[in-house]
Amino acid sequence: MAGTLNLPIPAVSSVRSFSSSNGAPTSSVKFLPHQCRASMQSFATETRSAAVASRRPASLYEVLQVSQNASPREIKSAYRSLAKIYHPDSAPHRSESEDDQDFIEIHNAYATLSDPSARAIYDLSLMAVRGRRPQMSLSAIQNSTSGFYTTRRWETDQCW
Amino acid sequence: MAEASYTVASDSETIGEDKSSAFPEIAIGIDIGTSQCSVAVWNGSEVELLKNTRNQKIMRSYVTFKDDTPSGGVSSQLSQEHDLLSGATIFNMKRLIGRVDTDPVVHSSKNLPFLVQTLDIGVRPFIAALVNNMWRSTTPEEVLAIFLVELRVMAEAQLKRPIRNVVLTVPVSFSRFQLTRIERACAMAGLHVLRLMPEPTAVALLYGQQQQQSSHDNMGSGSEKIALIFNMGAGYCDVAVTATAGGVSQIKALAGSTIGGEDLLQNMMHYLLPESQTLFKTHGIKEIKSMALLRVATEDAIHRLSSQISVQIDLDLGDGLKINKVINRDEFEEVNRKVFVKCESLIIQCLQDAKVEVEDVNDVIVVGGCSYIPKVKNLVASMFNGKELYNGVNPLEAAVRGAAVEGAVASGINDPFGNLDLLTIQATPLAIGIRADGNNFVPVIPRNTTMPARRDLVFTTCHDNQTEALIIVYEGEEKKAEENHLLGYFKVVGIPEAPKGVPEINVCMDIDAANVLRVLVGVVMPGSRQPTIPIMEVRMPTVDDGHGWCVEALNRKCGNTQDLVTVQKKV
Repeated sequence: MAGTLNLPIPAVSSVRSFSSSNGAPTSSVKFLPHQCRASMQSFATETRSAAVASRRPASLYEVLQVSQNASPREIKSAYRSLAKIYHPDSAPHRSESEDDQDFIEIHNAYATLSDPSARAIYDLSLMAVRGRRPQMSLSAIQNSTSGFYTTRRWETDQCW
Repeated sequence: MAEASYTVASDSETIGEDKSSAFPEIAIGIDIGTSQCSVAVWNGSEVELLKNTRNQKIMRSYVTFKDDTPSGGVSSQLSQEHDLLSGATIFNMKRLIGRVDTDPVVHSSKNLPFLVQTLDIGVRPFIAALVNNMWRSTTPEEVLAIFLVELRVMAEAQLKRPIRNVVLTVPVSFSRFQLTRIERACAMAGLHVLRLMPEPTAVALLYGQQQQQSSHDNMGSGSEKIALIFNMGAGYCDVAVTATAGGVSQIKALAGSTIGGEDLLQNMMHYLLPESQTLFKTHGIKEIKSMALLRVATEDAIHRLSSQISVQIDLDLGDGLKINKVINRDEFEEVNRKVFVKCESLIIQCLQDAKVEVEDVNDVIVVGGCSYIPKVKNLVASMFNGKELYNGVNPLEAAVRGAAVEGAVASGINDPFGNLDLLTIQATPLAIGIRADGNNFVPVIPRNTTMPARRDLVFTTCHDNQTEALIIVYEGEEKKAEENHLLGYFKVVGIPEAPKGVPEINVCMDIDAANVLRVLVGVVMPGSRQPTIPIMEVRMPTVDDGHGWCVEALNRKCGNTQDLVTVQKKV
């Protein structure tokens, strides 16, 4: 897993922005040439991917726009309503100016949070991260998981 | 965009339509089955199936070659029986499209009453129709294109507008190479493929629409409903599990195989006349007639067995070859036991992949021509504890109706009643990966991954100072690389010299919502975040006809000097 983190292919953002600005993902033709260029550029430009990373939501709950104690049902319906907005097939119905949230990201968040055991582990990792901040109190759970997920980057989230 | 710009479509792309007209053109839905085909369109408020001049909604998928002008089953009122017996009629092309002559499916097609010749070296089979005592060669793409044109003419006459955009249904088990051949056939017919939908997902979309309508009607809570769709036609058997709520259908899993009514027919023909393969080997005019006679009679017997317990077969194949037999339903089921076992295993696999228990399934939908066979209905129902099968869809029309709905949705049509406020979240039916760790297939995107999808995996060199790496991309489920479908290959060169296992070769695969697959490969040396050589991006599949040769040739040329191994996960 460690290896996969090295090249996160920041095409994430570039693919999205191109497909949405074209507004016609159904005809796959149009954005291909742009996309290759864009993904390679962003690959090469560290600054750009850093900028992308800084815009990222802090947690998977934020990605799905639900609270941390949301019920499985709420998570499911949040996923569906976001899918209706952000799935590339729905893109023509959407205005371009909206934030470029990626459907793959939404789906990955949903995949984790809809699986009870994966969600539990993820919750623990969230606590572990917060636990290391001085203002947060250390919980018993954090101790038991220390060394398991010591850092949390968006890439680690993608690996679920 | 004010200024005119000239763009060249990428070589690997089909040409897209310019959506400049004020009224979006509604794409039509086409179901080109192995034995039957149909067309449907969203007429503004509902799906309508188009009929041909003989008032048929479902037409036979065949093409008869006569003199210079081939004619398909859509338009011509031919004495099909006669043409079939003469060897001039070509059919079952959906089973053969995109397959090479080492494929067992191609071999099992050799007793069709026309010429299917194989050289067993991995090139496309030679297919020909007998016209005026001459073998006229053709291809599956050409045959499909001929009746696609007929369907198009029929639709244009009725809708009184030119037709360009289509949504087609395809079997789940089709490889991406086969999909390109379907696109090719459409291009030959002047049609632009907006979407290729796995058949059960078209049914899932139709089901999703029905659920949404009924939840509107009774102000229901719109809670999630899970359905299993079992679709068995003449050529292929497909299974899907879908979860639908509020117009959003999520395909949780897909499973498919090249088994269908054709296999039932072949098995029965073999049962009735075990020596048929050797008898008909020469493909003379007489043999073709006998093969066709046997075929027509057996097909008819199987149809009758759906409503009768037993049938009498009396057949004179000429040359003193006669068949007089009573076949009962139990015999039919026993002869085809393996086919039915395979159906069951597909359902089990699909449920497991979807992580859905039998009790969680709200509706079981059985469609396709084989759904009329009592054994098929019973076996599916018994797997769900005798649950009553969903009766809200017409088994023969469900797929094409779903395709028409998708055609309207993908064309951006809005329905005032929200009947098109639908979304299907598709999943990949087959795993996609590369050859690594010797001759193994290492999936990068596993099967049943939600689309659009993007996954990456890190590989490394397996020799010291290895500067080149061969990336061979496959699609399938088999462990051994070459047992999967080859999609393409390319070489990464300029890897810095280093001990084996040091360079990190990152293989990323990206499938967009239009199901376009791109493979990106980057090389990174430890301690650097920058790729050391330009990243390669290749749109797959890149293979062309006769790709059965390729891997063997690559092996001969390169041996294992450019192999890769997976990087072990550091736990």
